[in-house]
Order: sequence, then structure tokens, then C-alpha cells
Amino acid sequence: MGKYSDDPAWADVTPLPTDEGGPNPLAAIAYSEEYEETMSYLRAAMAANEFSPRVLDLTEDLIDMNPAHYTVWLYRAHCLFAINSDLKEELDWLNETALQHQKNYQIWHHRMLILDKLDSCEGEGEFVERMFEKDAKNYHVWSYRQWLVKRFALWENGELEFTEKLIEKDVRNNSAWNHRWYVINGREGEGVRGITDPRIREREVDFAEVAVAKAPQNQSPWSYLRGIARKGGMPLSSLKDFVSQYASLEQPDEVRSSHALDMMAEILAEEDNGKQQAGAALDMLAQKYDPIRKNYWEYRKGMLGLPSAAA
Amino acid sequence: MPLIKKEDPEDSLDERLQNQARIEELVSDGDDAFEDEDENGASDDSGIPFPGKPSKRQRKMPPWLQQATINLFHDELVTTTSEAQQKVTAECLPLLTEEDTGIFSLNTYGLPHLRRDQHASFLRAQLERLPAQYQVIDASRPWLFYWTMAGLSFLGQDVSSYRDQLIATVSPLQNPGGGFGGGHGQLSHCAGTYATVLALAAVGGLRMVDRKAMWHWLGSVKQSDGGFCMAVGAEEDIRGAYCAMTILTLLNLPLELPPDAPSRKHGLTSFTDKLGEWVGKCQTYEGGIAGAPTNEAHGAYAFCALACLSILDAPAVSIPKYLDVPALVAWLAARQTTPEGGFQGRQEKLVDACYSHWVGGCWDLIQAALPDNSTLGEDGKDIWNRAALIRYLITCCQQPGKKGGMRDKPSTRPDAYHTCYSVAGLSHAQNHYRYNNNNQPSSEGRLTAAFNWTASPPTEAEMREWKVDKEDLVEFVHPVFVLPMGVVEAARREFEQGGF
Ligand SMILES: [Zn+2]
Repeated sequence: MGKYSDDPAWADVTPLPTDEGGPNPLAAIAYSEEYEETMSYLRAAMAANEFSPRVLDLTEDLIDMNPAHYTVWLYRAHCLFAINSDLKEELDWLNETALQHQKNYQIWHHRMLILDKLDSCEGEGEFVERMFEKDAKNYHVWSYRQWLVKRFALWENGELEFTEKLIEKDVRNNSAWNHRWYVINGREGEGVRGITDPRIREREVDFAEVAVAKAPQNQSPWSYLRGIARKGGMPLSSLKDFVSQYASLEQPDEVRSSHALDMMAEILAEEDNGKQQAGAALDMLAQKYDPIRKNYWEYRKGMLGLPSAAA
Repeated sequence: MPLIKKEDPEDSLDERLQNQARIEELVSDGDDAFEDEDENGASDDSGIPFPGKPSKRQRKMPPWLQQATINLFHDELVTTTSEAQQKVTAECLPLLTEEDTGIFSLNTYGLPHLRRDQHASFLRAQLERLPAQYQVIDASRPWLFYWTMAGLSFLGQDVSSYRDQLIATVSPLQNPGGGFGGGHGQLSHCAGTYATVLALAAVGGLRMVDRKAMWHWLGSVKQSDGGFCMAVGAEEDIRGAYCAMTILTLLNLPLELPPDAPSRKHGLTSFTDKLGEWVGKCQTYEGGIAGAPTNEAHGAYAFCALACLSILDAPAVSIPKYLDVPALVAWLAARQTTPEGGFQGRQEKLVDACYSHWVGGCWDLIQAALPDNSTLGEDGKDIWNRAALIRYLITCCQQPGKKGGMRDKPSTRPDAYHTCYSVAGLSHAQNHYRYNNNNQPSSEGRLTAAFNWTASPPTEAEMREWKVDKEDLVEFVHPVFVLPMGVVEAARREFEQGGF
């Protein structure tokens, strides 16, 4: 009748069929016979707390049919460790599966569990890089990459160069910018200084400024600069000359980036007697350069506490 | 036509399903599987402009859609990101500027009406028997229950008739050790439990939940660093924190950790211990919030963070306590895209209707956290652009044709997830939500802050400004629990006594 019910190796197991909860379940799935049977045997195996090579095969079958099945993944991991299965072999199998199901969260969590146990990340960087060829902003893959860097202390193993390469490929890849921030600042808790170190800060400001020049309306390097100012103890005013190349009140028709104008408003607001000018920059944003955020720019103007709120 | 096109993974059901970055996305154009359509889905719902339509009186476009604004800032450098963005702007602009209103009937202001009945029947159709291709959502079925029950309620439909059926359907999903799994025999999971509990609340069926077992199970996912895992042995992220605190609060479970909770060994005694601090660690250098510390800032996680903090205390207390508010406000404001008017989930990503809720919903919470409302915009109390979001949802995200449903953007298909969160987003945009200090006296051990919200409809003047007809208003959506207001109040009263 079925793969498992016909298999003498499973003859000792009584499958537990799906309980639909009654005759009229909502959004009931008309499972294929194969899926229904395999799930029934998994339920039985889990009920008996069975960890065995045959359960591993069973979970592989299910993952092929439904890779988003978190229960199967978690049980598989449990099983692998319980029977001391060959984890290198597991990794080979995962590599094939990952290429097919890149957006699946479970697969990355599973991979993390395996590598942690293996205590080796050989070839892993290259593998992850290949994943980025399909989607360079995949959230799970980036989060996995962060874990790798931390778990195997890869901070100085070409990771910074890696972010540089991806940012070079697409300067608007904000995920790569975030990773760069992480690589530089991720060890502050362990006392390794990131952008609070003046030399690093200077290098990163340069890096972001070059990126801005390539595409001034790309928000990623602007946020990066703002982050450096906020977390690195650098006054925004030190960026004034740079920012004024892209937005200046003296040339109100030549603004090349709304993000520059935004930053200029913030710089001006910090200056003595600069609030009036800051208000003028915010007006330019509200009226001409970024009208969709009119309410926000007016809110910011309200925060300046100018004597007369009326524009 | 098979639902899953293996040759096109981006479009296939399982690929979309697995994109859990947005909690969990789920494609659900179920009736496709029953109907024969050609490859492009070009049957009755292709959205071809109606040829006989009189060429439009030149309408005055809002400032962000005027040619001069659209012409600003076109950096020459072409990258993957800019190409994708250009494509989306091109598919949205004709709809936004009303050059192409398809076959929609128009409201007083020339924008399409909300296709309420079609969207409702689209959602109802998701609850029918699903073909075998849906096996890949076997672990996410609770979401389908939530999106349909919530979406239908927000559209003004009565869902109480589903009560008995829903209770029966989710009974096998409830585990003896507490919580709900994605299906029968599946491990309890924060997302599945959140979705099931909310769906049950929507139909008035919360009594079937084993509250004591739930309390024990939640104790098993609380982590010693303050956060929550999605399931025992699974990932720790901010969805877990929001989902767990929502379940705990709606069901009025004790805040005290159960005696067998593993985090007790690390000195924790309450579900709230270290939680606000953990949420605070998720704020990134960009100002937005990530799914876990050091990850990239993301709109769905911003909502989870703000809603979680708004359960812990009044937004004006808990949000500034753990987050840099000006940085977050700036980040949220920047997520509204020009010219589309909807929200993107991350910096330099594309507009998508589901963020109408994830980011749109943040405004209710963060505006309530600002110390002094008088500093809000000159002519109102908003920091964001409601009219732009309404226009995006109404013109770009409604699927034409008899099947209805709402979609991420014009080039995608509708599904229950985007339908639910588009309608919720519409509600954030159309209605006002206010936090009232000390409205609810705090009761024994229960966090009551989230029960202090009231809602009110827009004024006539606002409806004119946002181009909304009265008949297109949707129901109030609770800013924290994303349920109808009355449903939240009923849950509060039902478990007022606490205990087991
Ligand atoms: Zn979406």
C-alpha cells in the first residue's frame, strides 16, 4: 500500500493518522497519500521518542515534500545528535537542499546546529557566498553569516573585504552595509573597539563618502555615516563640508540628495544661531525635495523650538 | 495549471512561504488550483485598462506624484537594487496617477472603491478544502485561520459562525504540554500559537485553550537573556517576544515563570525579566529594529518590538525607556516610498503592501510614545503620510476581477497574508488610535497597558483630504493585538479573574 506500511523494517510501528478535528475542518489540506503516510509514521516515532537511522530517513522524506516543516527539522537534529550520526554527511545533504530552498529559515537554523557540533566551518564562507549570488539580501543567510563570524571568530579572516566586495557589486545592498557594521563593531562587548577607535572611524567615514559619491540618493551610506556619528562619538558637524557638496542652502536648486539635505538640517540645528537655517532646510524637504514626508519634516521643524512655529 | 512552478522558484508557493522574514508569508491564491488559467493569469482579472473609459480630466496629483518630484534624484549608477526599483515604479505609476484605473468603480475623488465584498469572498475561499500542493503550508495553517478571521473582521464581516468549526479544527493542534503546533503532531511554536489564539479570540472561542499548560509551555521558551525562542530548540527572535507576551496578556496567565522554566536557573522569576533590555538590543545603528541583536533593521520586527513594549507598559513609558525614539521615528518615516506611497520593509528594498500594517501599525504606537503631542506637525498630529498609503493600497494592491483579494504589488498575486495586512494597514491609515493613561485599573498580576486604547473614525475633512468615501472605511484594528477592538475587550473580560 505504501512505502512504510509495506516495509518490514517498519512493521513494528503502528502509524498515527492525521486527526482532522472533525468532519468539517477549515482549510484542510488534501494530503497526498505519500505525505499522509510519512507524517503518520513520524507522529508514531515521535510519540515513542524513537531516535534511529530509519527515523533519519523518514525525516529526509518529509523535508523533501515540505521543507518548511519546522517540527521535522528539530526532530531530525535531535536524532542526529542522539545516534551520533555522521555530520559531514549531513552537511553534504544540506548543501543540495539549501540551494533548492534558500528562503527557508529552518534549513539555516539546522545548519547552525550542525556546524556548532562539528566545530569546524571549513568551506562555509564560500558556500554562503554562493547563496548570495541568488539573493544578496536574504535575511536568514545574513543572520547565519553573522553567527558564523562570531562562532568561529572570523572577524579578521577577510570578512571586511567580503562586505567591500558585495557593496562594490551593489552599493545599495543595505544588508551588506549592516554586515560591515557588525564586523567592525561586533566585538565591543569583548573590548575590541570599532568605530570608537579614531583610525577605524576615519577609514569608515572615507568608505561611506566614496559610496555616496557613486549614488548620492542611496540611503545606505548616509545611515552608516549617521550611525558612526551617533555611536562613534563624532560630531555630525565634521561632515558639513562633505554634505554641502550634495545639499547646501546657498544653492537651493542644486540639491543632489534628500538625505544630504536632511543631514544638513541636523548639522545646522546644532550650530549656534543655526536653527533658522535648519528650519529652511526642512522646509525645502517638505515643499520640494521630499514632499511625501511633509508631515515628518514639519514635525522635525517643530522640534527645533523656533520662536514662531508658523512657516 | 500546477500551483507550484518549479522552474520559477521566486514565484513558487514554497519559496514565498519560507520567507519568514515577514513573520511568515503565505501565498494562498487557492482558487487558481481549481480554475484553468493561462500562464500569465490573464483571464478575467488581467487588469487591462478599460478601453472605452473617457480619457480623464487632468487631475491634480498630490505633490509626491507630480512630475517635478518624480524627476528628482535619478542616480546614474545601475545596480540590481535600482533595476528592481525602477521596474516597480513603472508598474505602479499608471495606477497611482489614475491613468489606468482598470475596471474598478471609482469613489467621489476618482480613486477606486475598496472592493470589500470581493476581498471578503477571497478570504472565505481560503478556508475551503485545499489541494495537495498546499502540503508545503502544513506547518503554517494557523496563520491561514488568523489572516482570514482577522481580515474578514476588519472588513466588517461577522466571523462568529466559524466558531465551532475553528475550535474543532485547532483541537488536534493543541499539545498536552501546552501551546499549538502548525498541525496535528507538530511541536508547539510561538507563531502558530499566536495565530491560533488570535483566530480563536476573533470567533469567541478562547475557552478551548488549556491555559495552565500554555503557561508552562511559554515558560519553556523564555530565555535567560530575556528574549523568547520560537519553539523549544528553535531560533530566538523578536517575533517570539511579541507573540509570547500577546498570548500571556490576552489569556491573563501569571507573569511569574512556572517552577519548571529553565530560565529560573539563571535567576529569572518573571516573563518580563530582562525583556525590555533584550528588545532594546535589537535596535540597530540605522535606528530601526532587527529580528535579533545585530541583524538588519526590518519593518516587521519594528512592529513586534513596539507592540511588545506596549504590552509591558504605556508606550510613552516603555518605548523611550528601551529605544532611541528620534532615531526610530526617522527610520520609520524613511520607509514610506516615493512615488509609490506604501512602505518598504528595509532600506533600499521594494514597497510591499504587508508593511502597510507592519510599518503603518508602528505609527499608532510610536506617536503615542511621544512626550508632547503639540510638537507633532503643524496641521495635525501625524508624522506620516496617510493619504499616500491609502492611495497605494487602493490603486495598486487590489486584485481586479471577480476573485478579489489584495497583493504585495501589481505584479504579484493576492494571498490571505497580504489581504489581511493590507486591510489592517488601511485601518491604521483611515482611523485614529489613542492611548488613554490609566483607563484600565491594573488588576492582580496582569499587564493592562495594552487594554488602554481607544479608536475613532476620521473627520469629514480628513476623509476629503485622504480621498476616502464613508462606505470604504474599514473597522478599527487594535494597535497591539491586531484584532477588532471589541474582541480584545471581550478577552480582557473573559479572563479577568485570572487563575486556572
Ligand atoms: Zn509582503
